[in-house]
Amino acid sequence: MNGSEAVVRVRGLVKQHGHGQVGVRAVDDVDLEVPEGEMLAVMGPSGCGKSTLLHLLGGLERPSAGEVWLAGRRVDTLSERALARLRRRSLGFVFQAFHLMEELSAAENVELPALLAGRTRRQARQRAGELLERVGLAGQARHLPSELSGGQRQRVAIARALANEPLVVLADEPTGNLDSTATLDVLRIFEELRSAGQTLVIVTHDERVAATADRLVSMRDGMFVEDVRMAGTGTGRLGDLIELEG
Amino acid sequence: MGRLALVARLVLADLRRHPAQAVLLLLAVTAATATFALGVSLRGASDTLYERTRAATAGPDVVALAPDPGPAADRTLTALTRAPGVVAYHGPYQIVYTALIARGFTSQVVVHGAAETPGSVDRPLVTSGRWVRPGGAVLERGFATALGVGVGDRVTIAGRSYPVEGIAVTAATSIYPWAAQIGPGGGPSDWTGLAWLTPPEARALAASGDLPVTTALDIRLRDPDAAEAFVDARSGPAVRVTFHTWQFKARQDAVILNSAQPILVVGGWLLSFLAVAGVATLAAGRTAAQTYRAGLLKAVGATPGLIAAVLLTEYLALALAADVLGLVVAQLAGPAIASPTASRIGGVAGPAGGTVLATTVLAVGVAALSALPATVRALRTATVTALAGPVQRPRHRPGLMALSALLPTPLLLGLRLMARRPGRAVLHACSTAATLITVTVLLFHLAQPSRHYGVGAASLPHLRDVHDRRLLLAVTVLLVALAVVNTVALTWTTAMETRANMAVARTLGATPWQVSAGLSAAQVLPAVLGALAGLPLGIGLYRLIGMGKMVMPPWTWLLAATLAILAATAVCAALPARLAARRPVAPTLSAETA
Ligand SMILES: Nc1ncnc2c1ncn2[C@@H]1O[C@H](COP(=O)(O)OP(=O)(O)O)[C@@H](O)[C@H]1O
Ligand SMILES: [Mg+2]
Repeated sequence: MNGSEAVVRVRGLVKQHGHGQVGVRAVDDVDLEVPEGEMLAVMGPSGCGKSTLLHLLGGLERPSAGEVWLAGRRVDTLSERALARLRRRSLGFVFQAFHLMEELSAAENVELPALLAGRTRRQARQRAGELLERVGLAGQARHLPSELSGGQRQRVAIARALANEPLVVLADEPTGNLDSTATLDVLRIFEELRSAGQTLVIVTHDERVAATADRLVSMRDGMFVEDVRMAGTGTGRLGDLIELEG
Repeated sequence: MGRLALVARLVLADLRRHPAQAVLLLLAVTAATATFALGVSLRGASDTLYERTRAATAGPDVVALAPDPGPAADRTLTALTRAPGVVAYHGPYQIVYTALIARGFTSQVVVHGAAETPGSVDRPLVTSGRWVRPGGAVLERGFATALGVGVGDRVTIAGRSYPVEGIAVTAATSIYPWAAQIGPGGGPSDWTGLAWLTPPEARALAASGDLPVTTALDIRLRDPDAAEAFVDARSGPAVRVTFHTWQFKARQDAVILNSAQPILVVGGWLLSFLAVAGVATLAAGRTAAQTYRAGLLKAVGATPGLIAAVLLTEYLALALAADVLGLVVAQLAGPAIASPTASRIGGVAGPAGGTVLATTVLAVGVAALSALPATVRALRTATVTALAGPVQRPRHRPGLMALSALLPTPLLLGLRLMARRPGRAVLHACSTAATLITVTVLLFHLAQPSRHYGVGAASLPHLRDVHDRRLLLAVTVLLVALAVVNTVALTWTTAMETRANMAVARTLGATPWQVSAGLSAAQVLPAVLGALAGLPLGIGLYRLIGMGKMVMPPWTWLLAATLAILAATAVCAALPARLAARRPVAPTLSAETA
C-alpha cells in the first residue's frame, strides 16, 4: 500500500435504481477521496443518496458505473466472497437502527467479526472485552440488546465495527435514533477514534455530528454540491457542546 | 351477535389471505383422522362384514367338528342335533383335507360335501356361476381370488380335475386362509382354502383312503347370543368334538388385522403430531402479519382475546371439516382395509359413536395445539405493544452456548440464533423422529423373511403380510409427504425470521456461503437429534406391534435411511437459506427501526 494513497477513492460513481422514467439515480457521478485518518461527514436531505453511497463504499451494493478503491485496491469488481473477506478485515459498519443480533449478548455481538476473521474464541473474547471497556460498557457485556438503552446499543455496535481494526468505519446516521445524551456519548467515541487516527465516513443529518468532522460533503439528488474542509479540531467544539448541554 | 359475525368475517378474511396454510391444515388433519378412524374402527368393520355375510348365508351359530370319524363321532353329533336350544342344523357332513392345484399353484384345501339344495342352515351365497352339481366344484371367494381362478377354469382336487362351477361365500368358516377351522387330528391349521363338492363326491374322496377327514355339524340355536354358553356346557364329552361359535369365527376373521390396527392407529397419531408441528410453525411464522393485524384490530377497538378467538375459530372450523372428510374417507376405504380377502360381503356401517368421538377429539386437539403458539405470541405482542413494556427477554442457554464454543463460526452463529427458538428446534427434532420411526418400521417389515401360503415352490402371497405392507407403505408415504412439507415450512419460516440477522452477518464479513451453511447446519442439528431418537423408537414400535419374529434389517439400510432423511433435511434447509443469503442486504439494512 502506498502511504500517500487515499484509503477510500471513488471515480465517476453512479447507482441507478430501476430503469427509464421510473429510474432513480441515487448516486450520480460522484468523485471522492478520503485520506487516511480523516473523519468525513456526509450531509444532505433525506433521499439524496447518502445511504446508497455508503453501501457502495462498503460493497453492499454494486455500482451501475464508476470505480471504488479501498487502500489502493479496486473493490467494485470483486466477487461476493472476496467482498466478504474485505468487509471482515477492512470495514466496520454502524447503522442508525444499530442492527445488533437480538439473540446475542453485547459481548457476543462484538466477538462475532473477530470470530469470522478466524480469531480464536479466547482472542475474540479478549478483544470484545477491551472494546466494550473502551465504549464504557464493560459492565454490560453479558446483557442482551433488549436490556440496553438505545445509546448503549449504538456503542455496542461501534465496538463491533472496531473488532478487526478496520481501515475505515462507515456510519449511517449513527445518532439518528438517539436522544441528546446518548448522541453525546457516541460523539465522544467518534472523537476519540478520530484522535487515534481512525478513518471514518459518517452520514448524518445532525449538525453536531458534522461539526466534529475534518471535512464536510453536502449531497443533493445523488450529487456532491459542497465539499468543505473544517478549520480547527473537533475536540474544542465538542467541549463547547457539552458545556451547553450541561 | 355482532361479535360472532365479526369473528366469522375475520376468519374468512384470514382464510383468503393464507389459503396454503388452510389447505395444509385441512389435508394433514384429514389424513390423520382418516388413518386414525380406520385404525380404531377396523375391528368393528371386520365384525360387521362377518355379520353381514352371516345374515346373507344363514350362517350357523355353532359348528361342531369331530376329527376322528366313525360311529362314535356320528353318534355324538347326532345327539347334538337333539340338544336343548338347537332349532335347526345342517349335516353331519364330511370335511376332507387335501391339496388343490390351480394355475400352477398348490394349496391346502378343505373339501366340504354340500347338498345341491342347501337347507335352512349354512346356505353359501353364490357370487358368480352356480352352486355345486355332480362333477363340478365351487370355490370359496377369498380362496378363488388368491388363486386367481374364475368360473370355467379347471382345478385339480386330490388328483382329479374339476371345472369351477361357481364362486361362493360362507359364514360357516373363517376367511381365507383359515377355512380349515381345525387341522387334521384336531390341531390348528393355517393357510387352507375351501372348496365344495357334492356329498357323494366328498364321501368318495373321504373313502379313497389316506386323506384326513373331519365330520362337521352346523347348528342353529334359539338364542345365538347363548352360543358360548351352549359350547361351555358341552365341553369334555367322551368323543373329541371341537366347537367353533360364530363369535369365535368373527374374532378369527380379525386376526388378519392384528398388525394393521396398530399401524393405522400409531400412524394416525404420528400424522396428527406432524400436522400440529407444521401448522403451528406456519402460524407462528405469521407473527409479524398477526401483530400488524392485532394493531389494526385494536385501532377499531378489538381486544387481544378477539384476535385469539379468530385464530382458534379458524383452526377449529378447518379441523372439524377435516374430521368429517377423514371419516368419509375412512368409511369409503373401510371395507377394502377391514377385509383384505374377498371372503366377506356387504359394506361397513357408518362410523360408530366412539370412532367419531375419538377422531373429533384428535381434530380439536390438533387445532388447539396448532393455534396455541401463534395465539400466545399474538396475545403477548398485543399486550406488550399496549403497555409499551420491555421486549420479552430471551433466555440464555449456557449448555448450548458452551457447546457452540467448540464449533466453527458459521455453525456457532447458526446455533446461537437457533438457541432463541428452542420450541421450533424441538418440533423439528420430533418431526424427524416421527419420519424415521415410520421408515424404520417399514424397513424392519421389508427385512422379515417373506412368508407364503400354499405348498411347494410356487406359492401364494401371504395376505396378512401383503396387507400390512400396503398399509405401512401408505402411512409412510403420507407421513413422509407431511414431513417434507413441514421441513420446508420450518426452514423457510426460520430463514425469513433470521433474514435481518443474516444481512447483519453479511456486513460483518460473513460470506453468503457461511450464512447459508450456518443457517442450515443449525437446522440439521435438531434433525440429527430427532433421527438418533427415531431409530430406537422405530425398532421399539416394531417390537410392540409384534409383526412376527423380528429379523434385523441390514444395518446399511438403517444407516442409508437415516442419512437420506438428514440429507433431505439439509437440502430443504439449504434452499431457503441459500435464497435468503443471496438477497441483496442493503434493503434490509435500510429499515430504520431496530
Ligand atoms: N433498492 C432501491 N430501489 C429503488 N430505489 C431505491 C432503493 N434504495 C434507495 N432507493 C432510492 O434512492 C434514493 C436514495 O436513497 P438513500 O440512499 O436511502 O437516501 P438517504 O440515505 O440519503 O436518505 C431515494 O430516492 C430512494 O428512494
Ligand atoms: Mg439513509
